Amino acid sequence: MITSENQLRMWMVGGLGGDSAAHGRLLRALLPLLRRYYRRRMPGQDDAIEDLVQETLIAVHTRRGTYDPARPFTAWLHAIARYKMIDAFRRTGRTVPIEGMEDLLVTEGFEDASNAEADLDRLLAGLSPKQAAAIRATRIEGLSTAEAAARQQIGESDLKISVHRGLKALATRVKNSLL
Amino acid sequence: MTSEDLIDQLAADVPPVRRNALGWRLGLGLGLGVLASMLALSMSFGFRPDLWLAMHGATIWMKWGYTASLGICALVATAKLARPESRSLGWLWVALVPFAGLALMSVAELARAPSEHWLAMWLGASWKVCSTLVFVYALPIFAGLLWSFRRMAPTRLRAAGATAGLAAGAWSATVYCLHCPEVSAIFVLTWYTLGIALAALFGAIVGPRLLRW
Repeated sequence: MITSENQLRMWMVGGLGGDSAAHGRLLRALLPLLRRYYRRRMPGQDDAIEDLVQETLIAVHTRRGTYDPARPFTAWLHAIARYKMIDAFRRTGRTVPIEGMEDLLVTEGFEDASNAEADLDRLLAGLSPKQAAAIRATRIEGLSTAEAAARQQIGESDLKISVHRGLKALATRVKNSLL
Repeated sequence: MTSEDLIDQLAADVPPVRRNALGWRLGLGLGLGVLASMLALSMSFGFRPDLWLAMHGATIWMKWGYTASLGICALVATAKLARPESRSLGWLWVALVPFAGLALMSVAELARAPSEHWLAMWLGASWKVCSTLVFVYALPIFAGLLWSFRRMAPTRLRAAGATAGLAAGAWSATVYCLHCPEVSAIFVLTWYTLGIALAALFGAIVGPRLLRW
């Protein structure tokens, strides 16, 4: 079940060369590795763990150019997994409710906040409704993938992909509007 | 189940990644940033009219030697921090060598000059704007590096932001040499370095926000 470092590295190098079969095998082999990694560090948070596993897989996929084949693969993978875990802690830490927030908003910068919200609506309006809803649920309201998928009545990976593609499309749009 | 679907979708789109993709992308971001910075300089203050003549003298090479070697050190450190598993700042301490070299040249230069000239050498004609301009022209370069970082995986965001800012500042100073007519080493040591340090500080402040992934 747990694949050796050498095998993982060979698949990774194959994927870097454009071999999609090797890349698929690599990602599949990472699944149990990552689940074990997060279960050990975050016992009893299975929903959050599966989210993290998927986010890590996406990061491994999109940022594979930062892997240096001369170096150990597992160290690279664990560094990404660890970063994603810390980032998740930071994000959930941010959504802790603050009492009397409404009063604070009214007195301080409520207008700025609502302007930002209008900008956000305008940006998201350019996406497909499914992608916009997925981003809104996971990135703005702070729902977990499982909660958001249940609300939109779609599969979790479908939702994950929607978020990923939507963010990519947004980034391109923002970049183009800056050029 | 669902993660398996995700994998299938990810594995359906596997473009090849060239060897040392990280270096290429950093170089490209830096290059585009430097071009933008040069364009901004040429449209605002312009290059110094005697640039060609100056390139036959030693002073401009002393300045370029300092700023470019700082820029190379900072870029190498940035490339290291762009990988997730790098925890060390690498050999960034090497950047102290050009700094110390320029400091020695400043001392030698001051020793040769009568002391009543020292203040004028230190302040030059443009000390009030030099650092600010170095910082301002670093911004397009920093933006170019931010673009590079969109495919990177830094895990020490503040340090990566600082080294990217340092690289942007040092290369911005290299560009600024095309305009700046100052000649004394003590001027460069003080005001260029201040502008470069401002850019590094800026990078350290915005790094954790802008480099998140």
